[in-house]
Amino acid sequence: MSDSRQPLLKVRDLTVTFGPRRRRLSAVAGVSFEIYEGETLGLVGESGCGKSTTGRALMRIVEPSGGSVELDGVEVTSLKGAALRRLRTRMQMIFQDPISSLNPRRRVRDIVAEPLDCWQSAKGEDRRRVVDELLHQVGIDPDLYGERFARQFSGGQCQRISIARSLAMKPKLLICDEMVSALDVSVQAQILNLLEDLKAQYGLTLLFIAHDLAVVKNVSDRVAVMYLGKICEIGPSDTLYESPEHPYTSFLLGAALEADPDSPAHREVLSGEPPSPLNPPSGCRFRTRCPLAQDRCTSEEPALREVGDGHRVACHFPLSLERR
Amino acid sequence: MSDSSPLLEVTDLCTTFTTPTGPVAAVSGVSFTLNHDETLGIVGESGSGKTVLSRTVMGLQPRRNVVVTGSSRLNGVELVGASEAEKRRVWGLEVAMIFQDPMTSLNPVMRIGKQIDEILRVRRGLSRSAARDRAIELLELVGIPSPTQRYREYPGALSGGMRQRVVIAAALAGSPQLLMADEPTTGLDVTIQAQILNLLDDLRARLRMSVVLVTHDLGVVATRTSRLVVMYAGRVVEVGSTRDLFARHRMPYTRALLEGSPRLSNPAHTRLVTIPGRPPNLAQLPAGCSFAPRCAYATAQCHVERPELQPADGLGHYFACWNPLPTPTGVS
Ligand SMILES: Nc1ncnc2c1ncn2[C@@H]1O[C@H](COP(=O)(O)OP(=O)(O)OP(=O)(O)O)[C@@H](O)[C@H]1O
Ligand SMILES: Nc1ncnc2c1ncn2[C@@H]1O[C@H](COP(=O)(O)OP(=O)(O)O)[C@@H](O)[C@H]1O
Ligand code: SF4
Ligand code: SF4
Ligand SMILES: [Mg+2]
Ligand SMILES: [Mg+2]
Repeated sequence: MSDSRQPLLKVRDLTVTFGPRRRRLSAVAGVSFEIYEGETLGLVGESGCGKSTTGRALMRIVEPSGGSVELDGVEVTSLKGAALRRLRTRMQMIFQDPISSLNPRRRVRDIVAEPLDCWQSAKGEDRRRVVDELLHQVGIDPDLYGERFARQFSGGQCQRISIARSLAMKPKLLICDEMVSALDVSVQAQILNLLEDLKAQYGLTLLFIAHDLAVVKNVSDRVAVMYLGKICEIGPSDTLYESPEHPYTSFLLGAALEADPDSPAHREVLSGEPPSPLNPPSGCRFRTRCPLAQDRCTSEEPALREVGDGHRVACHFPLSLERR
Repeated sequence: MSDSSPLLEVTDLCTTFTTPTGPVAAVSGVSFTLNHDETLGIVGESGSGKTVLSRTVMGLQPRRNVVVTGSSRLNGVELVGASEAEKRRVWGLEVAMIFQDPMTSLNPVMRIGKQIDEILRVRRGLSRSAARDRAIELLELVGIPSPTQRYREYPGALSGGMRQRVVIAAALAGSPQLLMADEPTTGLDVTIQAQILNLLDDLRARLRMSVVLVTHDLGVVATRTSRLVVMYAGRVVEVGSTRDLFARHRMPYTRALLEGSPRLSNPAHTRLVTIPGRPPNLAQLPAGCSFAPRCAYATAQCHVERPELQPADGLGHYFACWNPLPTPTGVS
């Protein structure tokens, strides 16, 4: 299906470690995936599983300790200096905390123009025109708000300004890290709809990182599930949500709350908490909480393998075997 | 107290903060009742007044720069304007509160067991050793593994979920009849959230408590409350049984709140229903309906005259709207 298209981003065995050798923490422990041109890949998982670190490593905000990242065929991990800065115009990241990611003492127009100024790609009248157009696109009236300071805006408006800024250099890939998590329902819906519109208009490709499964389902074509630094399942969103293959995905979906009084109450609830990434379990990282774990899960790490069209799972005993 | 009179009766409660930029009406004219063994949900977006309401209901407010009027009666005892001594008698024993941020309700430099001990000794008059035994029992009750060891740990050594369990254990120390839980799972991972919500349900049934569950997340209240209060800009805009509010809401804001939430069952790229703008500034509330500037159904009247809560049926469903949504046909 999507595999016939060109991947815009190709990630192979990405690892990120933090800390000195004795207390080494592998936040991202060998992650591989691709994102095809024009699609949205959702990345979900519980806090601390490595979602943000993955996004930051792609942008080289944190340095990967291993693996390869190719954007449009260009190896990103070895770029330096000007080439690295240029990369950052083609890949942009939007963060969770909209207010603190903008300089409170700068005016809205100047914030949006930051990348243009940095690259001196538009000046004077031209700069003004580009910036105002971007502000219009994200639903902020430049004539009314363009000269105001960022600190005068609400979370939702700051997120709109962040989006406008991220689009200034016409990036190909947008990495959204929990971009609506701090927003209220009514504002969140506005931003999600806006993102979908801009994606179509600018031909964007998206990595959408969030812990909220319903939000991710709403925007993603494919979804990857992370647990303790590894991808445990990846596939088309409908397939993954309807028939998850990894026990962890199944628990995660079971725990998600649907705003519907007729939705089933929590059935099986995953017990315990994720182990520390400083000392991950041998074999399958989920085995300490997995009700299906067998001896093999302790000794052998399950590799991601194809179980359906574009659907891959890292489990020795995927759920469809159970169901059969 | 007989079980037929309400446990909690809130009438025309108003909380207004005096700020340098003028009065902020955080809670305005809120009334509701809570019966024994009931779980009531209070929902609304950030800043709608949920936390201020829950604190005011308990008689918990800063001493200065605040004016509270109206009444909040717990088992018939007035908490608004009650003396500190009176409130201290009630807090912990009849009503306990779990705050939005578990870290603020725990003392970071005191072992968790000691914090629960203290409540048991002060409030329940238990001896040192009886308090210790009971504290360990409570830690076990809320599902803390190896409670005897955990008893000696500091809050900082615990995960967010474990901390919230400790907060719940501390709240239960006085065996309250009413538990006010303000966003008890906000910020926790879904799997941990499910554990904590199941725990609260289980404790409520076992200990025959009533619970007020305050949240911005409709998913949290959908299957876990019997009645719902929807707040907007400091007021109750709709109240009724949880089922009625989900299926037969009449107030456009309630609908916006429901339809703006992404659903797990939605196919990818579902267009969300949105309302323009954001909640009003409480220091400059519009005249009339406070939702009017964002409401697609607003008429001239809405901008000048505030709608009062009116009954939708004889079954405890009320809404505040001049142009209510029609009741869906085919649903009864
Ligand atoms: N001490 C105070 N002084 C002035 N204004 C206050 C004070 N405490 C709260 N407010 C205001 O009262 C309003 C209601 O706040 P409250 O914390 O109850 O909202 P909430 O519904 O609990 O929101 P959230 O979902 O963000 O927790 C807000 O506008 C807030 O800024
Ligand atoms: N700069 C850092 N230094 C040390 N540890 C870090 C750093 N950033 C993240 N981590 C750790 O890496 C793991 C993954 O974190 P993160 O990527 O933020 O997870 P997520 O975004 O999925 O919540 C966590 O254990 C976190 O504590
Ligand atoms: S590999 Fe084993 S422990 Fe891991 S998820 Fe599959 S069954 Fe569970
Ligand atoms: S009273 Fe008017 S403005 Fe308010 S919710 Fe009803 S229709 Fe909308
Ligand atoms: Mg993160
Ligand atoms: Mg609050």
